Order: sequence, then structure tokens, then C-alpha cells
Amino acid sequence: MASASASAGGGGGGGETPLVDRCIDAAAGGAATVEAWRRQRRSLERLPAQLADALLRRLAARRLLFPSLLEVFQHSVEEIDLSGHIAVDAEWLAYLGAFRYLRVLKLADCKNVNSSAVWALSGMRTLKELDLSRCSKISDAGIKHIASIESLEKLHVSQTGLTDNGVMAISSLINLRLLDLGGVRFTDKALRSLQVLTQLEHLDIWGSEITNEGASVLIAFTSLSFLNISWTRVTCLPILPTLRCLNMSNCTIHSICNGEFQVLIHLEKLIISAASFGNIDEVFSSILPSSLTYLDMSSCSSSNLYFLGNMRNLEHLDLSYSRIISDAIEYIANIGMNLKFLSLSNSEVTSQALCVLAGTVPSLTTLSLAHTKIDDSALLYISMMPSLRILNLSRTCIKGFMMENSVKVLSLSALEELKYLESLNLNNTQLMDDVIPPLASLRALKYLFLKSDFLSDPALHALSSASNLIHLGFCGNILSTTGLRKFVPPATLRMLDLSGCWILTGDAISAFCTCHPVIEVRHELIQELQANYGGTSHLHKSSRQPQQVKAKVAKSSAGPSRLAEICFVDERIKYSKEEMMELQHQAKSNSSMHVAQLPPELRRSV
Amino acid sequence: MLRKGEAPGHQTPPHLHKDDGDDDDDAPSGFVKLISAEGFEFVVDKKAAMVSNTLRNMLTSPGGFSETREGEVRFPEISTPILEKICQYFYWSLHYSSGKETSEFQIEPEITLELMMAANYLDT
Repeated sequence: MASASASAGGGGGGGETPLVDRCIDAAAGGAATVEAWRRQRRSLERLPAQLADALLRRLAARRLLFPSLLEVFQHSVEEIDLSGHIAVDAEWLAYLGAFRYLRVLKLADCKNVNSSAVWALSGMRTLKELDLSRCSKISDAGIKHIASIESLEKLHVSQTGLTDNGVMAISSLINLRLLDLGGVRFTDKALRSLQVLTQLEHLDIWGSEITNEGASVLIAFTSLSFLNISWTRVTCLPILPTLRCLNMSNCTIHSICNGEFQVLIHLEKLIISAASFGNIDEVFSSILPSSLTYLDMSSCSSSNLYFLGNMRNLEHLDLSYSRIISDAIEYIANIGMNLKFLSLSNSEVTSQALCVLAGTVPSLTTLSLAHTKIDDSALLYISMMPSLRILNLSRTCIKGFMMENSVKVLSLSALEELKYLESLNLNNTQLMDDVIPPLASLRALKYLFLKSDFLSDPALHALSSASNLIHLGFCGNILSTTGLRKFVPPATLRMLDLSGCWILTGDAISAFCTCHPVIEVRHELIQELQANYGGTSHLHKSSRQPQQVKAKVAKSSAGPSRLAEICFVDERIKYSKEEMMELQHQAKSNSSMHVAQLPPELRRSV
Repeated sequence: MLRKGEAPGHQTPPHLHKDDGDDDDDAPSGFVKLISAEGFEFVVDKKAAMVSNTLRNMLTSPGGFSETREGEVRFPEISTPILEKICQYFYWSLHYSSGKETSEFQIEPEITLELMMAANYLDT
């Protein structure tokens, strides 16, 4: 009898990572490991679909997949996502076409997938979703192969090389519920041929050549809930009562219900970025106000928000790059109860807008005021948004302080009221070192971005006590080598971006990385340092160069003279021309570093 | 059925204290007997077995499973080497979560697929 006993552990729970995940990770450990199990055919055939899918995903993520390896998954895998894999070509598709139970195949951005390659997918019986977005070599000929996959319910062929003929061939796929033809320049004629796809729920035809006449065909899609006709010449939509999400960005909009009155579309999401209007109030009067939860009007020319009226369920409102001014903010305040996301970036609002909003947006989690004229007086009002997690104040007039009765008051302290604030962007503001300390008291802060012409060592040091900081962007600031060396990072810090801190030396950065290996540092010199890491022998060799030169010059002694001659000959034989030039460069670089570090007296002597 | 001892050719890790005695036909109340496809029996601490959600459900469900009463669970589709590895993981996981174990759990390349399926079934 085999028996086992052990002293009882403290907890009954398993290790942090389930054993299944450990096995998948181990199986994708490397090419040698793959070789160990790829011939276990019986096991592979028995592998449950969700395990096979997960294993394949891990192999793909680690670039361990190759065409013949796909064969071992033929009986088990149901979903494959190889998007962005440049290697995928006709050979890969030949193996993929043989998969018995494949339901989802994503090949977006696989640039080497062409019309001939997709022939291998012809007639697949179980495939329900196929994504060939931005496979620019797919043409009408490829669609004819795809049209034989009768089981297809979702087809993405956005930004492929289709023409009208290819689009018309899609009409045979009568089970389609989702069709993405974004960026395909087809005409009204082709759209008419798609009328038979009566089960369509999602249609994406942005950038097509359809007109109002073609748009009238859309009534054939009696289940249509998502429609994207941005960048088209459509100005008037027919009545589409099932529509829930509409994108008419960059369109001129006259009506979304055929000009009819007394019709209310139950839209939930409306994206009209950079759109222009005949009569904006008429357009919005066609929408049931209480149904709308998402509204994107970025880059719209309208400065009036009267139409917001009764949209009390609005959760997402994007008014960036618009012409709205603070006077219009009252309409937002009136419907702000459920608002979670608000962007007023690049608009004309001032701090007065925040005064109006204070206390009216209790659920707001994301607020962007980038590139606006708000100043420090806004911070007190922002502190009255209790749910705020993400705050973008980049390129504003925030200075970090206000003058009250000739006394300098640090304004960023107001943000301490925001108990959930995780992300704060203060890039390209006019902060100075002495206003930074309050930021270290923001207990929930994980992501902080500081970029200013006036920040230096003390600003970085002030953040040592930011107890939850994970990511610190400290770009383009005047950070010295000494400042970096003396910086004690928060224990939680994992990313430090020092891009544009041009005073820093490679040695300083290298030393910091050595002391703090868990922190990923970004700087222009990082790439150079990593290259040099493999070339330390060069540095060692180059350090001998000055001695050799000196020895050569000293001819008074026979011994050194002879040694110099030998070394010189060796050097010429030992290194190629390119290597010598590289050594020369290294010597100069090393020399300049030394010069920079020498005290003034010694520097003069050199 | 004739009961058997350790699986031949498999090393016993130090942290698994196996008793070779044949004193008792049944597992003590604090232990559960796991039986592989080939009939090899592994007696493990119930606390260790609870690392598996599947086993936890079997062993804690009030009267719902015969396994609860008999203290035996048979795995007709899990081979002896794989079941042994699973038992090792149970104890490793207990030790790891209590801070006594800091080394990584090693998984040999040859057994990744079979172990993956067994772990999936045991929800561990």
C-alpha cells in the first residue's frame, strides 16, 4: 500500500497559479519541450477543446508555432487567433483548412495571406467566424473561396482589396450576422445585392461609396443593431427601429429616420465624431433620450448642448476638440448623475466649467481636460468628484499652487479628497519642484505622468513615498546623474520612464537598473546600454588603447619600444577595419565619460 | 483486488513521507485513497486532496458521493505516474501556500499533456 503523510499546512487553497496553467506554461516552454509532446497523438486527440485552444494561444504568443505543428491540433482546437503573425501564409492555411472542429479563425493583419491561400478554407463545415481584416492581398478571387463556407456567421474583410464583384459574392452567405466591410469602396449596386442577408445584426461599411439611395436598402436588415457608415456620403437614414449603435462620424447628417417625425429610435450608442448637421436638434429629436448611454461628439462644430436635455442615463460623453465653452456645461450638469466618462479635451472650457460640474457627477470615473485653459482653481471642484479614477490635466494652466493673500498654497493637495484616483497626467504643465510633495500623499495613485520645463531632482525624490505607484513617467525633466542615484523608488514601482532626460549618462542609468532590477526603465540610452552589455570586452580592449599609444610614443627605452612594436602589429592583425573604427569610437566615448567625471583640477591638467 | 506498493521505477520526492506498512486496509479518517487506472493506490492527507476542487466537492458533499463514505476515489483515466505527480502537486501546493515551499513545481516535458488533462478534470 502506498501511503503519504505530511504536516498540515496553514491553508487549504491551492498555489496561486492553477496546475492547468502551469502545465500549459510548461508545454510552451521552448522548442525542445514541444518536441517532447508533439508526437503524443493519442493525448493530443483527447485534449479538450478549451485546453487545446489555450495551449495553442500560448504557443502563438511565444512564437513557437510552425505550420507542421498545427497538424497535431486538428482534432481538438476550435478557436485560433493568429492576428498579426507575418509568417502566416498559404502553407499555414493548408494545415488550418484541415482542422475538423474550427469555429473561429482570426488572421487580421496577416500580410502574407492572399486569395490563393484562402482556397484551403473552402467548404469548411464548422467555421462560424473568419477575420481577414487588413489582409490587403485578399481580392475578389479570395471571396469566391470564402463564399463556399456556408456555416459562416461573422465575416471581417475590412480594408482588403475587394471590389463590387467580391462584395456581391458575399450574398451567398445567408447565415451571416456580422459583416465588416469597413474601408472597402463598394457602391449602392453591391449593397443592394446584400439584401438577402436578412439575419444581419452588425454591419460595418465605413468608407464605402454608398449614397442615400443605397442606404434605403438597409431596411431589409430587420435585426440590424449595429451600423457604421462613417466617412460616407449618406446624409439620411431610413427608419431602422432595431438600431442600437450608430456611427456616422465624418458624415453630414440631416436625419436618421427618413425625415419622419413621431419616430423614436432606441439608440444606446451614437458616434458622430467630426460630423456636421443640417439641424442638430431635429436629428436628436429622433432618439429616445433615456436610451442613450454613449455619445461621442468629438470634433463636432456645434457649441450648443441643448439637445442633451433628458439624456439622464448617459454614461460616456466625449466632447473633445469641440467648440463648447463653459456656459454650455450646465446641460452636462443637469444629466450628470450616471456619467462615468467625460472628455472636454481641446475644448474652450475654463475652470468655471468645473465649478458648474462640482457635485453633479457622482459616478464620474474618467475626466479628461487635456489642452484646456483650466487652472489651479479647478482642482478644488475636481476634488468634489468622489468616484474619479483617471484624471488627465496635461497641457493645462495648472501650476500646482495658488496665491491667497500673498501666501503660496499648494493646490494639488485638493486631490487627496479623491480616494480612488489611480491615474494622474500632468504632462506639459508648469509645475515646479516645490509643488510636487502633495502627490506622494495620493494613496490610490498607480500611474503618474510629470513633464515640465521646471522639474528636477527634488521632484523625483519627493515621490519616494508614493506608496502605491506602479508607473512613473518623468519625461523631459532636468534630472541629474546624482539625482537618479539618490532616488529611492517606491516599493511598488515597476516602470520608470525617463525619456528626454538628456542630462543623464548611460552609467547612471545602468547603475540604477542594476540596483532596481524589477523596474523597467525607459530612456534613449537604454538600447545603447543593452547593445554594450554584450560588448563589454570591447570596452576593456579600448581601455588599453591609450597605454599602447603612450608606449609607442616613449622611444627612450628599448624594452617599451619593442613591446609597442609588437602590440601595434598584433592590433593590426587582430582587428578588422570595422572593428578598429568601433574601438576608436568606444575609446572616444569612454574618454569623454572620464573627462566628464574628472574634478576640474585634473581636467585642466589633461 | 490485490493491493500494490509504490509504482516501480518512480523516485519518491523527499517531502512525500510514504509509509510502506500494510497495517490497515482502509485509509484513516483524515486520509483519502486515490486509485489510478492501473490500480495503484495513493493515500493522501485530506487537506492535501482538497487542493482539488473536484475532490473537495466529493469529500465535503453531505452524503452525496459514495467516495465520502468509503474514503476512496478511483480515476480510471489517470495513469499511475500522472496520479503520483498530481499527489506531489497537492503537497507542494499546501506547503507553498503556507510559506514552507519556495521552489518551483517542476513539470517534465513528456507529461505536460496528460498532466494538463488530469489537472483540468480535478480542477486544481
